[in-house]
Amino acid sequence: MRAQRMQRTLLSLVLRLLLLCTVATGKCSGKYHELLLQLQRQADLMQDPSTLLDPYIHLQGLHSPVLQEHCRERPGDFPSEDALWRLSRQDFLQTLNTTLGLILRMLSALQQDLPEAAHQQAEMNVRGFGNNIHCMAQLLRGSSDPKAAEPTQPGPGPTPLPPTPPSSTFQRKLRNCGFLRGYHRFMRTAGQVLRGWGERQGRSRRHSPCRALKRGARRTRPFPEIRRLAPRGQPPR
Amino acid sequence: MPTQILQIAFIQKYLCKMFTLQTWIVQALFIFLTTESIGELIVPCAHIHPESSVVQLGSNFTAVCVLKEKCMDDYHVTANDIFWKTGRVPVPYEQYSVINRTASSVTFPNITLINALLTCNIRMFGQINRSVYGIRIISGLPPEKPKNLSCIVNEGKKMMCQWDPGRETYLETNYTLKSEWATEKFDDCKAKRDTPTSCTVDYPPVYFVNIEVWVEAENALGKVTSDHINFDPVDKVKLNPPHILSVNSSKELSSILKLTWTDSRFKSFITLKYDIQYRTKDASTWNQVPPEDTSSTRSSFTVQDLKPFTEYVFRIRCMKEDGKGYWSDWSEEASGITYEDRPSKAPNFWYKIEPSHAHGTRSIQLKWKTLPPFEANGKILDYEVTLTKWKSHSQNYTVKDTKLTVNLTNDRYVATLTARNLVGKSDASVLTIPAWDFQATHPITDLKAFPKDNVLWVEWTAPNESVNRYILEWCVLSDKSPCIPDWQQEDGTVHRTYLRGNLVESKCYLITVTPVYDDGPGSPKHIKAYLKQAAPSRGPTVRTKKVGKNEAVLEWDHLPIDVQNGFIRNYTIFYRTVIGNEIAVNVDSSHTEYTLSSLTSDTLYMVRMAAYTDEGGKDGPEFTFTTPKFAQGEIEAIVVPVCLAFLLTTLLGVLFCFNKRDLIKKHIWPNVPDPSKSHIAQWSPHTPPRHFNSKDQMYPDGNFTDVSVVEIEANDKKPFPEDLKSLDLFKKEKVNTEGHSSGIGGSSCMSSSRPSISSSDENESAQNTSSTVQYSTVVHSGYRHQVPSVQVFSRSESTQPLLDSEERPEDLQLVDNVDGSDGILPRQRYFKQNCSQHETSPDISHFERSQQVSSVNEEDFVRLKQQQISDHISQPYGSGKMKMFQEVPAVDAFGPGIEGQVERFETVGMEDAVDEGMPKSYLPQTVRRGGYMPQ
Repeated sequence: MRAQRMQRTLLSLVLRLLLLCTVATGKCSGKYHELLLQLQRQADLMQDPSTLLDPYIHLQGLHSPVLQEHCRERPGDFPSEDALWRLSRQDFLQTLNTTLGLILRMLSALQQDLPEAAHQQAEMNVRGFGNNIHCMAQLLRGSSDPKAAEPTQPGPGPTPLPPTPPSSTFQRKLRNCGFLRGYHRFMRTAGQVLRGWGERQGRSRRHSPCRALKRGARRTRPFPEIRRLAPRGQPPR
Repeated sequence: MPTQILQIAFIQKYLCKMFTLQTWIVQALFIFLTTESIGELIVPCAHIHPESSVVQLGSNFTAVCVLKEKCMDDYHVTANDIFWKTGRVPVPYEQYSVINRTASSVTFPNITLINALLTCNIRMFGQINRSVYGIRIISGLPPEKPKNLSCIVNEGKKMMCQWDPGRETYLETNYTLKSEWATEKFDDCKAKRDTPTSCTVDYPPVYFVNIEVWVEAENALGKVTSDHINFDPVDKVKLNPPHILSVNSSKELSSILKLTWTDSRFKSFITLKYDIQYRTKDASTWNQVPPEDTSSTRSSFTVQDLKPFTEYVFRIRCMKEDGKGYWSDWSEEASGITYEDRPSKAPNFWYKIEPSHAHGTRSIQLKWKTLPPFEANGKILDYEVTLTKWKSHSQNYTVKDTKLTVNLTNDRYVATLTARNLVGKSDASVLTIPAWDFQATHPITDLKAFPKDNVLWVEWTAPNESVNRYILEWCVLSDKSPCIPDWQQEDGTVHRTYLRGNLVESKCYLITVTPVYDDGPGSPKHIKAYLKQAAPSRGPTVRTKKVGKNEAVLEWDHLPIDVQNGFIRNYTIFYRTVIGNEIAVNVDSSHTEYTLSSLTSDTLYMVRMAAYTDEGGKDGPEFTFTTPKFAQGEIEAIVVPVCLAFLLTTLLGVLFCFNKRDLIKKHIWPNVPDPSKSHIAQWSPHTPPRHFNSKDQMYPDGNFTDVSVVEIEANDKKPFPEDLKSLDLFKKEKVNTEGHSSGIGGSSCMSSSRPSISSSDENESAQNTSSTVQYSTVVHSGYRHQVPSVQVFSRSESTQPLLDSEERPEDLQLVDNVDGSDGILPRQRYFKQNCSQHETSPDISHFERSQQVSSVNEEDFVRLKQQQISDHISQPYGSGKMKMFQEVPAVDAFGPGIEGQVERFETVGMEDAVDEGMPKSYLPQTVRRGGYMPQ
C-alpha cells in the first residue's frame, strides 16, 4: 500500500515539475502559501467561541459563571498542543482530518441543541477545513521532501472518540459544552501550528512554496515566542 | 361506421380547441382518434417520424408519415392520399414526397420560428378528410455558453452568482449553477424562471475555502457549460457597513473631529480598508479622506482641517484591504460640530442718519451685519460699540442686536465695532461718521447692474482716490410700500460683486453704491435693475386726447412700477376698424401720447396698447373711438360763408328793397286812402272849375271814372312859414272845392285839383273808424253842377288795414313842415309818401314806366301823350295812388280798359313832373323838399 502511494507521489511530483509546480491538484489551490494562509485563517475563524460555543451556552442556558466553570474540555477529546507540535505535517494534517471527522459526528449529535444557522455554518466550516487539509495534504504528498509525510514521532495518541453519553441531560449539556470548548481550543492550537509552518516557510524562502515543499516539512519544535503566545489553561493530558 | 365518423369529427373539433397542448397529449388523442371501434385496443392508424418535435431555427426538417396496412385496407387509401397540415393550414404539395405505397414525407426548408401542430391526414373515399397522426413542432436555438459569471457573498447571507445567458433561445432553457470543493459537490442551484441569470446557493458561505463554480444551460436542442471560476468566497465578500459610534470634537483644536466605529467581525481574520467621507451639514458634495490614511484595519479616525464651530456629517464604508471583493454599503450618516474659535473677521459696519428734531444733534443709527457662521466661528454673544469724538471720551455700548441708535452732536465721530463669542473677540471694524457739514465727493463711475446666474451683479469703476470699502444698498421700488434698504459691504479692492440678499424676480431694485474713504463716505451713485424681468402684469390703458377727422391723438399713463415687472422698452399700439386689418405701431417707451394719422372719417376704431419689457409684453384694455365726419372748423368754414352770403344777400335785398321800397310798396302794398277819413260832406265847393275842365277835357264823353277824396290831416308840429302859407292857401282852396267833392275815396294825386284837408275835429271821427275802413269809390257821376255820364256809387267792403302813420315817421316831419297842425298829421303822410317816391328814384320809375308802356298798346300811349300835353293840370305824381286803386279788388269792376287808362295817365303825369320842371306844380316849391303836397 505504501509502495503504491509512493509511486503515485512520484508520478505526481514528476507531473507537477513538468508543469512548473503550478498545477492545481484537482479543485485545490496549487499555491502552498495561499493554502496555508487559508488554513490559518480558517483555524482562526473556527477557534472563535462566538461561532459555536457561545450560541450553545446561550441556547442551553449555561451562561452562568458557575456553570461556566464546569464547562471544561474533557481530556482526550482532542489532541494536545504539544502532541500537535510534534507531528509531522502529513500526520498533523491527518490528525486534523481525523479530529474534524469526530467534530462532524459530534455536530450531528448537537444539531438540535444549536441554532440552525450556527450549526450549519459550523458544519460547513469543518467540512471546508477538511477540504483545505485534503488539499494541503495532497499538495504535501506531491512534494519531494521525503520527510513531509513521515512522522518522526508517534501520533498524538488514540483517535478521540465521540463523547460518551452522559448520565443526565444536564451532564450531557455540560459534556457537550466541554466538547465545544475543546473544539475551539483545538482549532486555536491548530492555527498556531499552521502559523508555525508559515514562520518556518518565511525564514527559509519566503516566495517559493514549491521550494519550501521540496525542502520538506521538517518536524521542528514551534518557536518559543509562538509558544508563549499560546493560550494558557490547556487541559491536562 | 357512421358512429366512427361522427366520433372522428367530434375529436377533430376537439383537437382544434386543444391546439396548444403538449405533443404527447396530441399523440394520445390521435391514438384515440384512430381506433376503429369502441372497445377495441387503441391502435394508431399511422405514425410520424421523428417523434421529436423541437427543431433548430434555420435547419431543414423532414417528417415521414407511415400508414398502417390495416387502415389502408379499411379505408382504401395509400400514401398518395396523405396530406399534411400545420395547424389548420395545409402544407403545399410541393413539399410532399411519396416514399412508397405506405409512406409520405414533408420537408420544411430553413425553418423559421414556429410552434405549431403538424398533422398527417388522409382523404378517404375521395372526399372525407381524416387526421391520422400529429406531432407538435417547435423551433428554437440551443443555449449559448453563459458568460461573465460572477459571484458575491453578502456578509451574513448566502452566495449569489449571476451570469450573461447569451442570445434568446425561444425554448425553455434551464440554467443550473454548479459548485464544488475539491472534496465534495454541492447541490445544484437551479435558476428560477423569472430570474434565469442568477441563482443563490442554499448553503452558507465557507470562507478561506476555494470553491469552483460554473453554469450549465440546457434546453431541448442542447446543453452548454460556462467557464469554471475558482475562488475563495472571502474574495467575493461584501461586508456589512461599519456602524459609526461617535463624532467627537476637541476643545484644544477647533479644526478636528474624531470618528469612531465598529465593523465586521471579519477584521479579526482579514485586513480591511476604509473609505471615509464628510461634508458640512448644508453642503451637498462630500470630501474624501485620503485613502492611504485608512488602508488598514482600524476603528477610529481623526479628521483634520475642519472649520471651527461647523457641523460636519460623516459616513464610512469598508472592504478587504487587498481590494478583492466589494465595498460595503455606506454606513448611516453621523454628524458632529467642531469647537468654537474667535470670530475671524470684523462685522460689516454702516450707519444711517435719521431725522432729528433736536437742534445741534443728530440721530445716528449704527447697523452691522451678523457674521456668517464660517466667520463667526461660534455663537456670537454680543457686540461692543465704541463712539469716539475728537479729543473726547469714548462712549461704549454692548449690544446683542445688530443696530444701535445714538444721538450725536454735529461733530465728527469714529465708531468701532467688535463681535464676541465664547472664545474671544473679532477684530474691530472702524467707521467714520463725518460732521454734519461734511460734503461727500468722489463718487464711483460707470455703475452697472445686471443679472447673471440668478443673482444680480453690480459693477463699477473705482474713483481715483483710495477707497477703504464700498457700501451697497438696495431696496425694492414700489408704489405701495416704502423703500426699505438692505445693504452689504465690500472691500475697497472689489469692483464687482453680487447682491447677497433675498432678491425677488420681477421687482425693480434701486441700487446705491457708496465709496467709503478715511474721512467719511463719498457721493453715492444709484442705478435700477431687475434680477429677472417678466412681461408687465397689465398693459397700459390708452385713451384719446383728441379725435380728428383723419387723425386721433392717443395718450396713456406710464405703467406703475409694481406692474412693470421690467424695463418698459417700447409700446405697441394696435388699432383697427371693425372690418379692417389690425395695424401695429411701435412707440418709444418715453412717450405718453401718439398721433394716429391717415384715419378714415366717421369710422369706429378699436385701439389697444401693449407694453413690452425684455421678457415680453402685455396688452391693455381695448378702447374704441369714432372719427367725426367733419374736421374741426369744417362746418364753420361752410356755415359761416353761407350765412355771410345769406346775410349779405339779405342785406343787399333789404337795401334794394329799401331803395325800391316805394316801388315794392306800390306793387304789393299800395297806399290805400282811408275812406273812413274821407269827408264828403266837407268837400270843398271852391274847387276851381278848371280842374274839372281839365277832366272834361280828358274825358269829354263824361267817362271820367272816379275821384277819390282823401282827407288829410296835417301835422301841426314845426310848421314852416312857407308851408303854413301853402297850407293856408290849401285850406282856402279846400274850402273852395269842398262842395265839388264827391265825398268818398279817390286818389289824392288824382284829386289833387280838389284836395280835401280835414280839420282837427274831423280827425276824431276818422280815428273812430280806423279799425275798420270802408273804401268807397265815388264814381264820377256828376256832383252838384256836373252830371256824370255814368253815375255809380259803390261802397267797398274791403278790410285792408290802413297805413299806419308810425311806419313813416319822416312823413311826420314832412307834415310838420307842411302844416304845424297836429290834427292833420296822418293824412298828410300819404301825400308825402306817394309823391316823394318819384323824386327819390326817378330812374327806376322811368324803367318801370317803359315797361309798362311797352305792355300797353301804342294807341293808348299816343292818346295819353296827347292828353298830358293838352292838360297841364293833370297830376303826374298821383300815379302811385292810381296804381293802388287798380290793385284793389274793386278795380275789377271797372274793367281793363279803365285800368289801362288810369295807368297811362299817371305815368305820363310823372314824366311830365320830371321833364317839365317844377313850374308845372300847383304847390309852392318849398313843399318839394320833404315831399309833395297834394295839389
